[in-house]
Amino acid sequence: MSRSFAVHRPDSAASCAHCGLAVPAGVVREHDTDQFCCNGCRQVHTLIGEWGFGRYYRLVDQQRGRLEPARVSGRSFEDFDDDREQATATDQLGPDRRCTQLYLEGVHCAACVWLVEKLPAVLAGVDEVRLNVGSGVAEITWRPARTRLSIIGRALDRLGYTPHIHRASRTQEARRVEDRVALARLGVAVACDMNLMFLQGAVYAGDYSGMAGRYYAFFRWFSLLVAIPVMLFSAKPFFRTAIAGLRTRVVHIDLPIAIGLAAAFAASLFNTVRGSGPIWYDSVAMLTAALLGARQIQRSAQRMALERADGLRGAAFLEFARRLDGEGPDAPVVEVPVAALLPGDRVEIRSGELVPVDGVVLAGRSSIDNAVLTGEAGSQMVQEGDVVHAGSTNLGARIVVRVDAAGESTRVGALLAIVQDALARKPHVLQKSDVLARRFVQALLGLAVITGLAWLSNGPAVAIERVVALLVVACPCALGLSVPLAMSVALLRAARAGIFIKNPDALERLCNVDTVLLDKTGTLTQGRPTVARWHGDDVVLQLARSLEAESCHAVARAFLASYGRAFAVVRSVSGVVETAGQGMAGRIDGHEVRVGNRDHIVAGGAEIAAEWAAVAAAMVADGMSPVFVAVDGCVAGVAGVGDALRPDALATVGTLRRRGLRVRILSGDHPGVVARVGAALGLPAEDVEGGLTPEAKRDIVSALAARPARKGAIVMVGDGVNDAAALALADVGIAVHGGTGATMAASDIVLTREGVAPLVDILDGAKRLRGVIRRNIAFSLLYNAGASAMAMAGLVGPLMAAIMMPISSLSVILSSAITRTFVWPGARLRAGGGVQGRL
Amino acid sequence: MEAIFVLLPLALLIAAIAVGFFIWAARTGQFDDLDTPAVRILFDDEEPPPRAAPDTSSRRVPR
Repeated sequence: MSRSFAVHRPDSAASCAHCGLAVPAGVVREHDTDQFCCNGCRQVHTLIGEWGFGRYYRLVDQQRGRLEPARVSGRSFEDFDDDREQATATDQLGPDRRCTQLYLEGVHCAACVWLVEKLPAVLAGVDEVRLNVGSGVAEITWRPARTRLSIIGRALDRLGYTPHIHRASRTQEARRVEDRVALARLGVAVACDMNLMFLQGAVYAGDYSGMAGRYYAFFRWFSLLVAIPVMLFSAKPFFRTAIAGLRTRVVHIDLPIAIGLAAAFAASLFNTVRGSGPIWYDSVAMLTAALLGARQIQRSAQRMALERADGLRGAAFLEFARRLDGEGPDAPVVEVPVAALLPGDRVEIRSGELVPVDGVVLAGRSSIDNAVLTGEAGSQMVQEGDVVHAGSTNLGARIVVRVDAAGESTRVGALLAIVQDALARKPHVLQKSDVLARRFVQALLGLAVITGLAWLSNGPAVAIERVVALLVVACPCALGLSVPLAMSVALLRAARAGIFIKNPDALERLCNVDTVLLDKTGTLTQGRPTVARWHGDDVVLQLARSLEAESCHAVARAFLASYGRAFAVVRSVSGVVETAGQGMAGRIDGHEVRVGNRDHIVAGGAEIAAEWAAVAAAMVADGMSPVFVAVDGCVAGVAGVGDALRPDALATVGTLRRRGLRVRILSGDHPGVVARVGAALGLPAEDVEGGLTPEAKRDIVSALAARPARKGAIVMVGDGVNDAAALALADVGIAVHGGTGATMAASDIVLTREGVAPLVDILDGAKRLRGVIRRNIAFSLLYNAGASAMAMAGLVGPLMAAIMMPISSLSVILSSAITRTFVWPGARLRAGGGVQGRL
Repeated sequence: MEAIFVLLPLALLIAAIAVGFFIWAARTGQFDDLDTPAVRILFDDEEPPPRAAPDTSSRRVPR
């Protein structure tokens, strides 16, 4: 009978003193008051106690901060002391102070802020730490004369926040400066607008009840004075984009806005100077303030998604290597930045770490996982003389590698160059709103000419007045508000649902999808071998797991990974013997336990009964490798080890296909394996392709994109570096949770929720967003048409415009805010991770 | 009503000062992070500072 593993994890009643999760029975220490679920939590808890920061735990309780088991990398962070490495994120503050930005993993709530910002109390030479809880970036002010960045790095690591040099800090800084200016523009526009409303209010009142000429003139001149900063400072972006658009012959929505603002201001200025005629200063300011406000909201929503992706990317790929300084395989090790490595250097790669360079193994035997690079599931054995590539993962024991190439000249470096190339070649898609803007401008200019000619018989002054009134009320304020507002609401809701949309244009393309291309390893499947099926008793499974904990072979990792936490091993083992390529044997509680392949079990004297052989054959048929477990010379269980499908893969693929989308698998794994996965998901054989190189994937995407008969967008979903070029070139690239930094950089959308189910949410959300935007646009066009007709008839003056404009804008704001574009899967998300409640 | 010729410019001056402060605050990055200050304010020191004194701290630094 096959059962899932997670069900029988033997948890004790105790909960971890650090993270609060249940402590597995195997690691409970009877005489201790504090119990821990894992070594990481124990270390962090001890350090927090030692430093006298116990208040952290009370803050966690107050904030109801959700904790995860602490991860301590145990690195030395010596590479942080390299000046060139620091320079990417460091500002020199005076002769002996620096401010360095570090991205911290695992920042989740207010208690983290408290703890991290307390560092200056225990670390000499650290002046100040400021942590941004949203982006996880800490700004550390420190004195190079009194401490080193590696010391600070180790302290943060030991507190459970693995630090990384914040590589995106420069681009983020530039973005932030832009944001600050935009905010200042908005502030000025709002302040001037409110004052103008009072001033113009007096003028309107004077129009009705009479006002002495000198007051009238004073208020009008004063209004001009207040309106000047709006025109010259706040409204500048509209004029700039409109002019830039005219130069490149692209009509942008900013063009009609700029026309309206310029016409209204020019006419008002003329009328102020000559002392009669309507003035529109309040409308100019109100339009500017409303439009800038909507854009500011969209900007902050988008920045959040970008910063999140930047943070994840900063924590990405191949930052450091452990270089052996000296002769022999056991020479002292120093951590250096990858950029500082030279061919011929020797580097050490420990179990579970990424291989930082292309090179040849000099010492050690291990298994290497190439999934990120090639899409191959499963591992490859390497020993002395074998070649390893940067970006692959060392699953087994420590190896020493001679550096042949590092950085850009590695195979992964070449792949990243392809990604850059693909990003540069990505065609620019014309936005719907831009198409709309062009028609809008044409219609507006046509109407203006008609209005001018029609009123010309009443004299040129009246004609110009009517044309200005038309241009002001037809200014597409509601239209300009509707898209950014609906979009920012959607972006925020999506982020809460674990979907970070880096490029909002992607949502428009997602409304009409032709083909969804899925990577296999790591996207449809877990991306690492696990025990996908188990036949036998739970007790036997525990025995097998205890034995496998003694090894670092890929199969052993599968046993431990399936179990959740590597530390939760139950029993002590003696007399362990590992037979390479076959299996293991050992004694546990007086039982002789053997775990391995058929030959290994037979060699141990056990017979494999027909019943077990049939179970094993069924596993082979499903693409898993059977691993037998024998206790005291009798077969007692069989585990099917393989790269299991994600639990939501079948349902998601089914949903996509029911909606009429073509779903294809593009994989770099062996065609046989890919075909089995395709069959399990019910895909026809011609839609399943294996054995593809990254270049082949990219070419398939561009061939599909170039096909004239395509009905809609080509969507690529992947996780590895080998998918990155295809992701960059697809109409919409989506990086699934757990992808590498290169993948996130290349994608339009980054998922922070496990699995492929968010794909359906994204498509639904994009459709709903399109609905909201269409409704908003329809309404604002209706308003503009009505108002234009009134203006052409000569019914609209400044007061009327000042009343009509906010009403139309308000209705668009309400319509955007109340619609549920991306549904927040509350309960599902709470259990499954994602971002915190701060959003 | 002649007061208006004095009061209005005066009011505008005050408004301009306020706007000036806002621009200064925006340009110095005081609105960059709107999440963290909201939680940081909860951390007033209701208990004595951590045990470690600055002079002994270097000993505690992880090596």
